[in-house]
Amino acid sequence: MAHFLEHMIFKGTDHLPPGVFDYAIETQGGMTNAATSHDYAHFYMTIAADTLPQTLPYLADLLLHAAIPADEFGRERHVVLEEIRQAQDDPDWLGFQAMSELVYQNHPYGRPVLGTAEILQQRSPEEMRCFHQAHYQPHNMTVVITGGIPLDQTVEMVKHAFRTFPTAPPCPMATIAPLPLAQGVHREVLCLPRLEQSRLCMAWVGPGIKQLEAAYGLDLLAALLAEGRSSRLVRELREDRQLVQDIAAGFSLQQDCSLFTIQAWLEADHIDRVEAIICDRVSELTATPIPESELARAKRLLCNDYAFSTEAPGQIAGLYGYYGTVAAPDHCLTYVPIIQGYEEAQLRQLAAQYLTPLHYVSTILRPA
Amino acid sequence: MTASLLQAPRLHRTVLPNGLTVLILENPVADIVSARLFIRAGSAFETAKDAGIASFLMGLLTKGTEAQSSMDIAETVESVGASLGTDAATDYSIISLKTVSSDFADIFTLAATLLRQPSFPEAEIALEKRLTLQQIRSMQEQPFTVAFNQLRQAMYGDHPYALPGIGTEASVTALDREALQAFHHRHFRPDNVVITIVGRITPDDAIAQVEKNLGDWVAPASLPSTPVFPPVSPSGTCTVATQETNQAVVMVGYGAAPVKHPAYATLKLLNTYLGNGLSSRLFVELREKRGLAYDVSAFFPTRLGLSQFVTYMGTAPTNAAIALEGLRHEVERLRDTVLSEEELQAAKNKLLGQYALGKQTNAQIAQMLGWYEILGLGVDFDEQFKEMVTAVTLVDVEAVAQEFFHRPCISLLGPEAVVGPLAAELA
Repeated sequence: MAHFLEHMIFKGTDHLPPGVFDYAIETQGGMTNAATSHDYAHFYMTIAADTLPQTLPYLADLLLHAAIPADEFGRERHVVLEEIRQAQDDPDWLGFQAMSELVYQNHPYGRPVLGTAEILQQRSPEEMRCFHQAHYQPHNMTVVITGGIPLDQTVEMVKHAFRTFPTAPPCPMATIAPLPLAQGVHREVLCLPRLEQSRLCMAWVGPGIKQLEAAYGLDLLAALLAEGRSSRLVRELREDRQLVQDIAAGFSLQQDCSLFTIQAWLEADHIDRVEAIICDRVSELTATPIPESELARAKRLLCNDYAFSTEAPGQIAGLYGYYGTVAAPDHCLTYVPIIQGYEEAQLRQLAAQYLTPLHYVSTILRPA
Repeated sequence: MTASLLQAPRLHRTVLPNGLTVLILENPVADIVSARLFIRAGSAFETAKDAGIASFLMGLLTKGTEAQSSMDIAETVESVGASLGTDAATDYSIISLKTVSSDFADIFTLAATLLRQPSFPEAEIALEKRLTLQQIRSMQEQPFTVAFNQLRQAMYGDHPYALPGIGTEASVTALDREALQAFHHRHFRPDNVVITIVGRITPDDAIAQVEKNLGDWVAPASLPSTPVFPPVSPSGTCTVATQETNQAVVMVGYGAAPVKHPAYATLKLLNTYLGNGLSSRLFVELREKRGLAYDVSAFFPTRLGLSQFVTYMGTAPTNAAIALEGLRHEVERLRDTVLSEEELQAAKNKLLGQYALGKQTNAQIAQMLGWYEILGLGVDFDEQFKEMVTAVTLVDVEAVAQEFFHRPCISLLGPEAVVGPLAAELA
């Protein structure tokens, strides 16, 4: 519903026919789009600073007063169904969904953001309007504007554009299943057609946004393990022992919990061996002190990545918006100091707490 | 970033005595320096026999020099949290790097060494070959890639643009150290190189770095080689790949103007009109009004040789025939339907606005400046392009559509039961 709604927001309001907003932004040389994740939907535009007064009211109107017309609803559903079909042709998407289901079970993070064809067919425009008006409310919304703009006038502009929220209707709130407790090792093998290479994806559940410091520590551990050719796993498994085509560690921070993943692309007959080696290396993190130079390398990689990703106004708006939505905007300023302050003993303790080879999920894709 | 930044006196362009071109733009806003080293040799300089050599060679540049191993190089870069990458494009190849300003000198020195003195260790060649061959096989997993590779092959025949930059299983298997050294020796010479440096660095400091590392590099007496393109005239083919996918992919390609052709700016404008953004013609007509696709768009890459103008979409297999008809109709109707002044102006605003948005970061600016220089267009092309777009008239649009939008090559991918009959119908 949330993702489908994100599509429908662009279908206009009672004052703004479908497509008029997109046309207005793009023909002024700007761009606009949107995306939906498990925790939030975000809408963005990049435009010349002096056109903000003419464009911001339109965006606000769409967000606050989306009309969700029935005929557009029917047509756009076909578009979302195509989006789902396209995703289903992508083996990495299939693998990620299978893993999420296994990790989160009945928690909403276990379901695909896109939904399923079956669920989409059951939705109605009335339900969507209710969902929209219940959730698109001031306490749920963060507006971020960056660029060469005057502060006071811009704040006034935002206040004015976002002043008339509809009254929130009674809307059935989703009952959110709790996150499952990590218990043992869960392994699932999927055989897919049209697959040229196997995948092994191992996942551990980490702390949520409330334990930001611990979460950032796991980000450091991910960089230490598999960011760059001189990282532990890339060096050992791809360069030296040549057991994998590629290997990457990922850390994604969400509101309720984070996810630490290690993914390898490899030949099917190396899967078990690689999984065992990864378990060993993860255990070593806890047991063996991390050399100073290695820790320094991981810290610099992350701090520079952070600097490199705050060059353009759109990037900065995205960063503040993310933290503003899942926590508080100023949290993004803590990233670099927290990363730099980490000591190796703290990291080892984090690894012991979260990255145990006794509790994880592994999803394997093999050619059918 | 405004246009005026790219003009003198802030943009410094120097050609060293050995023929190496240097472009420097000081931008002190962020503590970042981006540099790009362009080499005038990409996949267009290959034959079917050594297809993929440019891409393979660029990958190996970071895997060993006369003094450093692959791991030494990785550690040098990663220990300071810099980024250093290599890539081969169609008409050129590139080493790109980004550092905080205090690390720039060290990492630039490393990049210059990779450029001049790669050692191509046998063990690294073997590893890279294995990884590349697997990557070629893995392309089969991506329906859009399969459909595009097939379209390109059908459109270009013997032309070097026919093959994917990564090469083929046969050509990559046949690559060896000798071939790599020969390719490097032939194309990697100072008068074939353009370096752009953008960020928190003074022009004097930047030029000193280049001179220190590359000033003593001597250009051979012979002239640099240029690619020779056989004539091709893509027309009226239909190629089919059968895969039991959930979506069918439909692609329609027309032969299109090279960058130095007078029709270039008009085609860029038509590409914007048809395929760029949520208000583009294909998006509105085929997605918003008819719900046929999620991904529907057009692209027209900038090429020194004959380019291609491609429209495509992914759609439910049962819609493949309507999708094909819809894509062709939207492109080919431009031959005899004159756009309105308003539509033309909207497309111009959109193209020029997005062009400006593409020059926000140091890396983007470094890329664009060097790219124009390496293609032989010169940095002034940044201004010229905007002027050319502004000057396009409705008459130009119609004439260009009539010149290029006919007898397309069609590429279909999807389940046998759907694409088979459709292709038979078109034959």
